[in-house]
Amino acid sequence: MALVGNIRDFGLSDFLYLVDRGYKTGGLHLSHEQETALLFFDKGKLIMAARKPEDQQADLLVRLGLLSGDQLDQVRQNLTAQGNGLTLTQVIVDAQIASREQIQNVLQGFTEESVYGLFGWPEGEFRFEQNQRPAPDAPVVPIPISVDHLIMEGVRRIDEWGRIKDRIPSTDMIVRFLDQPDERAKGVKLAPEEWRIFARINGKDTLAEIARKTSLSEFDVCRIVYGFLTAGLVEVRKKPSVAVGRSAADAPRVKKSLVNRIINRIKGM
Amino acid sequence: MQTVKMVISGAVNAGKTEFIKAISEIEVVSTERRATDDTKMIKKETTVAMDFGRIAIADDLVLHLFGTPGQKRFDFMWEILSEGMLGLVILVDSTRPETFRETNRIIDFFVSYRDTSYVIAANKQDRPNAWSPDELRLALRQPPHVKVLPCVASDRDSVKNILLELLYVIQERSEE
Repeated sequence: MALVGNIRDFGLSDFLYLVDRGYKTGGLHLSHEQETALLFFDKGKLIMAARKPEDQQADLLVRLGLLSGDQLDQVRQNLTAQGNGLTLTQVIVDAQIASREQIQNVLQGFTEESVYGLFGWPEGEFRFEQNQRPAPDAPVVPIPISVDHLIMEGVRRIDEWGRIKDRIPSTDMIVRFLDQPDERAKGVKLAPEEWRIFARINGKDTLAEIARKTSLSEFDVCRIVYGFLTAGLVEVRKKPSVAVGRSAADAPRVKKSLVNRIINRIKGM
Repeated sequence: MQTVKMVISGAVNAGKTEFIKAISEIEVVSTERRATDDTKMIKKETTVAMDFGRIAIADDLVLHLFGTPGQKRFDFMWEILSEGMLGLVILVDSTRPETFRETNRIIDFFVSYRDTSYVIAANKQDRPNAWSPDELRLALRQPPHVKVLPCVASDRDSVKNILLELLYVIQERSEE
């Protein structure tokens, strides 16, 4: 069943997070005004991105300078002759036209840039077709691309408070790590400024305090933390207020017998 | 007579009134008014104050169900409704991802400052374009221990199941 919505309401970075953590396989179709895009994922990782219909064809490898027209014809013939189950990459490598690493470098750069451009869309319809796969001769990256890294880079290109404030409404909020942030962070390449903030996260300081300690602007801190947040590395919470807050220990406790009576009554309804 | 309270919350048109109507033993007391703002795009009439339902547990014990108003301008009522509540059901319209951010805001309001027992009911699971509970968990960024349950608020058995699942959460945290 397709998941449908608009990236104005459920952002691209949120959708990428869902695909990553849900180990989703399928095709994400996006449209904004006259533009369209199609991304394919395999078990939560990106394997192809096309901003134009022709980017879904093997001809892309010619345009990217990896193959000549004649070599592409030869690869297509081999692919047809050798039957199902073989990938375009495998045929190119077997024909010794290019190495797997060369194909990865060229296609990964193209695929990532295609996705980064989508982060600038203010709105756009999306439809995720579960288990949809690219055509057998489509230019798929040999090694699937981690979505965490894409989210961080995409968020680096966000320069509007509006989108950030959806997730970080105030600089009085504290930042804390989720489970195993160091493990997850291995898939994310952090810039020096991001490391400065990453190292300051202690579950006690507010965003405003982090900004002061790092001498960065509050906007930069919020933008960087928004990236961590979207990639699922950290969470932000309101700073507990003594006047309003109530700790778990202070919460009213109810008697098990009372709860059991309600359960039995509801069961009997 | 002892009364205990459960709160049913969620964004506009999440199904709160329907949920309470499906299980309440009394005619649900709703304060519905013709919608005057953005909500009229979604439904002609909406709950601007609150819904109230009731289930008699025994001669000496009554369960009250309060549905919160979905519109932002009635946020001030949430604080009042949440005082002393036994538990909370957060209803989500599984077919409308545009309400997920608002749902997160509601969860944050009720859960940040209080040690609230709650479950999330993924409503409208009978619709063809509904996001599954697993997808909603990821979309709402809920941790694994929070129950995200399939729900059809017009179906009494489905509503019973949600209340029971919430009660099991409360039971685990209750004292002997």
